[in-house]
Amino acid sequence: MIAAFKRLKASRGVGKFCRNRLAVAALGIIVLYALVGGWVALGDLLPGRAGITYAQVEQPVWPTPINGFGIPATNERRVEAARIITREVKRAVNNGEGFTDIRYGLLHILPGTADSDSELDRLSTLIEESEDLYDQLSEFDDLNSPEPPTLDDGAPDPDSIDVPSTIARLEGAVRQMFAPLSGWQSLKQSLLHSLGTDRQGRSNFLRVIFSIKVALQVGIVVAIISVLVGTFLGAAAAYFGGWVDHAVVWLYSTLSSMPELILLAVLVYAFSGSVFDKVSNPWLALVPVYAAMCMEFWIGPCRVIRGETLKLKELEYVQAATAIGFGRFYILLKHVIPNTVHLMFINFSLLFIAAIKFEVVLSFLGLGVKVGPSWGRMIQESTQEVINGIFWQIGAATVFMFVLVLAFNIVSDALQDAFDPKHVG
Amino acid sequence: MTTPSPILSVRHLTTRFRTDRGIVTAIDDVSFDLYPGETLGIVGESGCGKTVTSKSIMRLLPERTTIIDPSSQIMFEGTNLATADDRTMRRIRGDRIAMIFQEPMTSLNPVFTIGWQLDEALKYHTDLGRAARRSRAIEMLKLVEIPNAERRVDEYPHQLSGGMRQRVMIGMALCCEPDVLIADEPTTALDVTIQAQILALMENLRKRLNTAIILITHNLGVVAQVCDRVAVMYAGRVIEVGGVRRIFHDPQHPYTRALLDSIPKAGRKEHGKRLPTIEGIVPSLFDLPKGCRFADRCARCQPLCRDTEPELLPAEGVGESHLKRCHFPLSQAAPVTSASHAAMTSSPGARP
Repeated sequence: MIAAFKRLKASRGVGKFCRNRLAVAALGIIVLYALVGGWVALGDLLPGRAGITYAQVEQPVWPTPINGFGIPATNERRVEAARIITREVKRAVNNGEGFTDIRYGLLHILPGTADSDSELDRLSTLIEESEDLYDQLSEFDDLNSPEPPTLDDGAPDPDSIDVPSTIARLEGAVRQMFAPLSGWQSLKQSLLHSLGTDRQGRSNFLRVIFSIKVALQVGIVVAIISVLVGTFLGAAAAYFGGWVDHAVVWLYSTLSSMPELILLAVLVYAFSGSVFDKVSNPWLALVPVYAAMCMEFWIGPCRVIRGETLKLKELEYVQAATAIGFGRFYILLKHVIPNTVHLMFINFSLLFIAAIKFEVVLSFLGLGVKVGPSWGRMIQESTQEVINGIFWQIGAATVFMFVLVLAFNIVSDALQDAFDPKHVG
Repeated sequence: MTTPSPILSVRHLTTRFRTDRGIVTAIDDVSFDLYPGETLGIVGESGCGKTVTSKSIMRLLPERTTIIDPSSQIMFEGTNLATADDRTMRRIRGDRIAMIFQEPMTSLNPVFTIGWQLDEALKYHTDLGRAARRSRAIEMLKLVEIPNAERRVDEYPHQLSGGMRQRVMIGMALCCEPDVLIADEPTTALDVTIQAQILALMENLRKRLNTAIILITHNLGVVAQVCDRVAVMYAGRVIEVGGVRRIFHDPQHPYTRALLDSIPKAGRKEHGKRLPTIEGIVPSLFDLPKGCRFADRCARCQPLCRDTEPELLPAEGVGESHLKRCHFPLSQAAPVTSASHAAMTSSPGARP
């Protein structure tokens, strides 16, 4: 394998690939995704220190849905959010329960507040101010397009409050209830809000980043297993021939004669009835998805590599290996399969995209990812929002998926151009 | 002259293939002996069964479609290779009988270094340690006269030229010091200078390692250069076997004579004339004549030739060392009939 890699490095295919600027850029994007995905995955190993955990992505970062890119929400939502926070803080102050539950992303009540009278007094003042401002605002029927109140004679009321500035004051009061954030922390907080939230106030940004890990996980596991299984079966079928060939060809012809998506759905459904539904470990919960996809995706590489092996086994070095005295199985593993490495790479990149896309489709149908977010689940959950004209969640999920799939398509095309001998020129 | 016992003795080797058109006999009753340290040439035109003979000995033909007749004997050190099981064959292949192929461009695995490939063969057949195998690999490369062997050992096949690769193949074949080396047209794909170098190298190594060589070729010049004895094949049969000098100077079979005549010679007498050729084509293996297989193309053909196939018998006055398969060998006076007259006038290549 190391030898094959060395040869790969020296081959002109690599040079050809590197001259394709677009492909190199796409490869950079893939590397970026991989780094982010790897970092996210650390969340389960080093909770709190690195990565993102499953618990984190389910926590709301704001009580009401907000827009991304810092576009302000409607006045009504802003006021609603302030009121919910005020109510929660007030209840905590009155009950003396502590404030650990009140947490929106990085915003939290200063620890030790429950034991400090001065802090409690400060909070109470802020609550009063907030409630007062809320009362003033509640006089307006429609906060989104407030009509200035009029006196009896129809002239504008000179004592009337200015709605936007009042809302800003209200938000300022609420903001002061939380512990102040350092510059770095506030940057992170604004990142959490950067792509808006879903209906439950969970950060789209966090969920879409977390889904990178899920997508890469599904893509890598499925592509590796499928390519290995397909390569081995395809090479063995062609090399040994006879009943082995008949069996493998029969198997993949049968499987590929069924509609792809329906077969996948049926397989996932079949596996889901098993022990994996009861497993709370999110890493294992995906096993039905892996199993179903692998059972279908090995067909592609198997076909291609069977064809290649039919050609390879007639080449003289394979015969020469026999003439040296090696056994057939050894020749298959050491002399035939290493010569299909380029096809394995190309098939890996194709299956990787296919697996990611089908994970999204299955999750959308409610058959894929069941624990934690994934792009498919985000798209599925956003259906209710889209009706209400909120596109932040579906937008984030599709854009992130689109960029990865496009980058991978560009790279696999470039790989094919660079390494497929039929394209040399 | 005392005859040493042959190291490889092929008797009545008959190989058939299952094809879509039925079973075809590719080589029929091929018999020859190979003595230690000698070079036996097998010559004949394309499709006459040279390669099938060599691959039958190595048992490299696809098992599913090949039938080696049970009466065939390929005796090597008391083992009949025609019926030996897979394990025995794997032990003998590479270690005792090695083979090199025609096409040096595809005979080495492109994804591994040549050192790795030499090492693999040594690992399989010897008990040497890693360092010992490496030094042996370098030693073999030096033996086959590859310059900078220490550096070349880590190179990939695509970094070597065709002649270089054929040297590596010879080195690989010889690294376990086999008793028999089967060379299937080892120089056909090389240009003439490299061809001469490779032949000289093989000759040199044969003397040093005392390896018997079966050299398969259609190039009679190569045969004259390196072989001790020659077997001439035609349409799946051996038609003449003998010492290289006798075959070249006193051929018994008309086909051998015709082959020799079709070699261009410097300063030949018939300067300006067309090079003689053998008229007609090789009979189809699906439709072999009842009598002599060369009868249709032979100037000396008689009714007897068309009825009965001649046996492989000693030529007159030379004994067992020169065998021919002809009713009317060239050492006898040419039988003249009207039929052969007609054949002679239409085939300028065959001289009476």
